[in-house]
Amino acid sequence: MSSDCRRLDAALESADGAALAAARAHAASCARCGERLKAFDEISAAAPGLRKGWDSPELWPRIRESLAREAFAPAAAAPAPRKTSRWPAWLPIAAIATLFLLSFVGLQVFRPSLGDRQIFGVRPLPRDPLLTDVALDDVERSESEYVRSIENLSKLAQPRLDAPEATPLLLSYREKLFLLDNAIAELNGEIRMNRYNTHLRRQLLGMYAEKQRTLRDVMKGASS
Amino acid sequence: MTGGGHDLLNFTAHKEVSLDEPEPPTPPGGTDEALLEGCRAGDLSAFEELYERHAARMKSIARNLLHDAGDAEDAVQEAFLKIYRGAKTFRGGAAFSTWAYRVLVNTCYDSLRRRGSRPAGPSLDAEGATPLAAPAGADHPLRLALEKAVGRLKPKHRAVFLLFEVEGFSHLEISRILRIPEGTSKTFLFGAKKNLQRWLAPAPSPARMARP
Repeated sequence: MSSDCRRLDAALESADGAALAAARAHAASCARCGERLKAFDEISAAAPGLRKGWDSPELWPRIRESLAREAFAPAAAAPAPRKTSRWPAWLPIAAIATLFLLSFVGLQVFRPSLGDRQIFGVRPLPRDPLLTDVALDDVERSESEYVRSIENLSKLAQPRLDAPEATPLLLSYREKLFLLDNAIAELNGEIRMNRYNTHLRRQLLGMYAEKQRTLRDVMKGASS
Repeated sequence: MTGGGHDLLNFTAHKEVSLDEPEPPTPPGGTDEALLEGCRAGDLSAFEELYERHAARMKSIARNLLHDAGDAEDAVQEAFLKIYRGAKTFRGGAAFSTWAYRVLVNTCYDSLRRRGSRPAGPSLDAEGATPLAAPAGADHPLRLALEKAVGRLKPKHRAVFLLFEVEGFSHLEISRILRIPEGTSKTFLFGAKKNLQRWLAPAPSPARMARP
């Protein structure tokens, strides 16, 4: 092995033009180095074939939806702030327990005089084991009325949104409403799978509120 | 990258796509930096334009790093979300593309870490991906063997090899993307190619081995 052979690695590593030229000249007359250079050349020649391409039409919509979700639910995305209270953690629990105990004692004291009547106008709790379902039905009924009112507003704003001479502001309202509708549809799907998830419902209501605000802005633009 | 090393004299110079070419012509939608400015102002169409420009190359890099189309798309999605969130705080200092590809590579590393191991081995064409920049001889058996061998490289060596030889970045760009010195990028590439050469070399025949 000559000193030129030993310089081959250094030339390849440094990728210096002059050093490589010298290495190539040497490789022309040295079978071993020629073979190594050829192998390096072949790897470089085959490498661009590893570049991959495929269609993924759903990728951009996925990114857009994630952005919309983050935009309208920043509190959910951000980590919850760390509590730095100087009170011990058990204190609120102890306070609630004490309050509960006092209320119970108070009720026991007043009960004989009230008999079966309602205490302070509070309706007695029904003995229905499906109380949460009943409450949920109430919530859903109110929600559907709210949604209906927004849909009415949406119908009123539609001609303005469909106007052929759309201003940039109107275009951005359109885009925003489109994103909101997508996010609402997705949240509705998630809620259908878990009707009791109050966090999702809060998010959904937030989005409806945003939609309502946007539609109002569209209408304000129309009337001004 | 043209020729991908057919001529070793052009070992570093043959670049088809370069991020740092002097005074590149401004693309129709404006420069990346101008589009990023649009993103900061909440213009989603500017962000979509950035996606259109870089997504294909990012997907290719992610797929070669992760060896799975689904994971690659997830990584690209995550990277773009990070880019959008970071657009407000990104104030130049580096080219947008350098920063964006760094975000992607780091996201891929995170994904590999979550997976807990390096990719077992590729079965890419079976999943429907096709070589994009297929040069003459792309169907050479060497390409298939190379694909497997690249999966065996150390992550940093693999990243440098893919960015330089497959995606056509220069060592300067790679040094900025991976935050390593330019010389280290060259050393990693050399190390990667040396290993690949060793792994791809035909096994010596028994007759040769028996020779004293």
